[in-house]
Amino acid sequence: MIICPNTKISKILKQNSDALEAIISITPKFEKLRNPLLRKLMAARTSIGMASIIAGVSVETFFEKLQPLGFEPDRETEPESNTEKPKLPAYFNSLSPQQIIEFDVRPIINSGEDPLSSIVKKVKSIPQNCALKIINSFEPTPLISLLKKQGFDSFVNKVDDETVEAYFYKTGVATVQLNESENNSEGWDEMIKRFEAKTETVDVRQLEMPQPMMAILAALEKLPEDKALFVYHKRIPVFLLPELRERKFDYRIKETAPNEVHLLIFKD
Amino acid sequence: MLTGNSNTGLAKNTSYKVVLPFYLYAGIALLIATVLTLFSTPAFLQHYFYPNTLAITHVMALGWGTMMILGACHQLVPVLIEQKLYSDALAYLSFFFAAIGIPLLIAGFYQFDFGWPAQIGAVFINAAIIFYLINMAISMAKSKKENVHAVFIFTATLWLIITTIAGLLLVYNFSYNILSKDSLSYLPLHAHLGIIGWFLLLVIGVGSRLIPMFLISKYSNNKILWRIYFLINFALISFIVFFLYFNITALYFIPLTAIAIALFLFGSYCYKSYHERIRKKVDNQVKISLLSVFMMAFPLTFLLIVICLLLFSVSNIPLILTYGFCIFFGWITAIIFGMTFKTLPFIIWNKVYHSKAGLGKTPNPKELFSDKIFLVMEISYLSGFILFAGGVLISNEIILKIAAVLLLIAAVLYNGNVWRAVTHKPKSHERNNQ
Repeated sequence: MIICPNTKISKILKQNSDALEAIISITPKFEKLRNPLLRKLMAARTSIGMASIIAGVSVETFFEKLQPLGFEPDRETEPESNTEKPKLPAYFNSLSPQQIIEFDVRPIINSGEDPLSSIVKKVKSIPQNCALKIINSFEPTPLISLLKKQGFDSFVNKVDDETVEAYFYKTGVATVQLNESENNSEGWDEMIKRFEAKTETVDVRQLEMPQPMMAILAALEKLPEDKALFVYHKRIPVFLLPELRERKFDYRIKETAPNEVHLLIFKD
Repeated sequence: MLTGNSNTGLAKNTSYKVVLPFYLYAGIALLIATVLTLFSTPAFLQHYFYPNTLAITHVMALGWGTMMILGACHQLVPVLIEQKLYSDALAYLSFFFAAIGIPLLIAGFYQFDFGWPAQIGAVFINAAIIFYLINMAISMAKSKKENVHAVFIFTATLWLIITTIAGLLLVYNFSYNILSKDSLSYLPLHAHLGIIGWFLLLVIGVGSRLIPMFLISKYSNNKILWRIYFLINFALISFIVFFLYFNITALYFIPLTAIAIALFLFGSYCYKSYHERIRKKVDNQVKISLLSVFMMAFPLTFLLIVICLLLFSVSNIPLILTYGFCIFFGWITAIIFGMTFKTLPFIIWNKVYHSKAGLGKTPNPKELFSDKIFLVMEISYLSGFILFAGGVLISNEIILKIAAVLLLIAAVLYNGNVWRAVTHKPKSHERNNQ
């Protein structure tokens, strides 16, 4: 079987079940693939390219591990989209953090219950002009189609391999506000689009002050001129901003929740 | 398996509405203190237990130093302990009681009348500190992380409440004779509880985190910080014991030596973090903060001379006055000047631009105040400080007047720059979602 960065992990496992151990040996992060249920959920959605980002290794590492098992690497094909970058619809530009209602369903799932009924209840309680953000450990596909029937548009943002944010909002409201941010050629969405597939990611949410600043500055030092750095942060790193200016970087900041901030940093 | 929510997500910033009143109040207190100084220069030729001098000292210690620190800590502590501030309401209460209590007390000093207004003032100040203490205690108790800086800040607050309770007793002692001796004889105790317990512990606790951060230095050494912590607390406790139960001047060398070692360790801590910094160009705000650390050496030297002279039963009043002046107008003022513009513009930036930073280019937080005005303020302040200290030492009133004018100019420029930052209006992207 020929494998490329876009080959799904599930296809590989189907071909040769020995590949499971080979993949787990790359990083303990993949231990969860041993769980048949999670394997079903995740492996079908994850390509080698995506998995290599999660593991923090190159695609080549996967190829090397899989080659002895009879897989033929195709090194010509480029990964479709390097990373799953959140491309929040322009509508979210017009929302303040208070207008995004967060609902973490992981505790419900962890306790072994079905979160669907509480989600439906939550959806009904959302005021006009607000969006619901559901935090889950996988993409809630059934929910998306269910709410679509009720007139909700959705947007899915994969934060990492264990966290998926799904946004739901009424479409009617969106169109009005969309026009406003469309005239803006320098906004978050446009910048995200401009650096599509040309971003590197760093997550500093777990770091203690002042390490986030150090980590970001270190990542910027290695960042190629034409690329942008996408940062997951807990708050707006105000003290970083003068340092960015000093190093001739510009930035866009997006607060997705009161304690969830995304930054895009690029050469000015 | 389905973890990933270990991210506490409780790092929400304290609202600017809580912090700004403290900052603005402190700035105005500095202005009042410098105006009072200008009109009280003859007082600096007298004994230190003098109405104007006591009034000015308390405007500086409470209105300027303490209010600024309370404001900054409401913002900073939640960031340090990664825990939201427990209560905004307690913070407002703290501000409200302090804001009313401080002028009442100071008016009492100025007129040397310790009747009910001054007494209520002292009670209000204590109430304000208690609200603050409760707020910090609960916020910190909720945090699971042990943090040496937070321990410094909390211990400092405990010393502060001891200081203000002692102060309250001294105020009542004027009218009711509740203590065994007169209020003047307890002054050194009250003063050093505040200076060492509150200001020194706090400045080291906060400075040891902020200075390396602003220098972008990887240096960190909790072991040294813990040593400093024990040295300062040992010094203070031994001083209290010696002061209350022994009447032997030579014993004071023990706490003095402990403080000297602590200051030396902190100085070397700052030097090392400066040495290992990534940021090559150090800005004016950090420079003056580092200078302030160096300025701690002045009061220490004066104190050494004062104690040496006391051994020979000589009490040199100008020296003691200079000692106090170097602490409040020197060390504490210098570090507040630096740290104000390392915190305030960022708080304002967050308020004005947090929702707009996704729409387009936003100004650098440093552009929210004028670095030029800051530089002029710095020069005016430093020359005023040196002249005034010299003027007190040689008891020359003309020098004192000139120096007081320079200090006043610095205070006006400081307030102007603070006001400029606070009233900042968004520059780009007026069309926003408002």
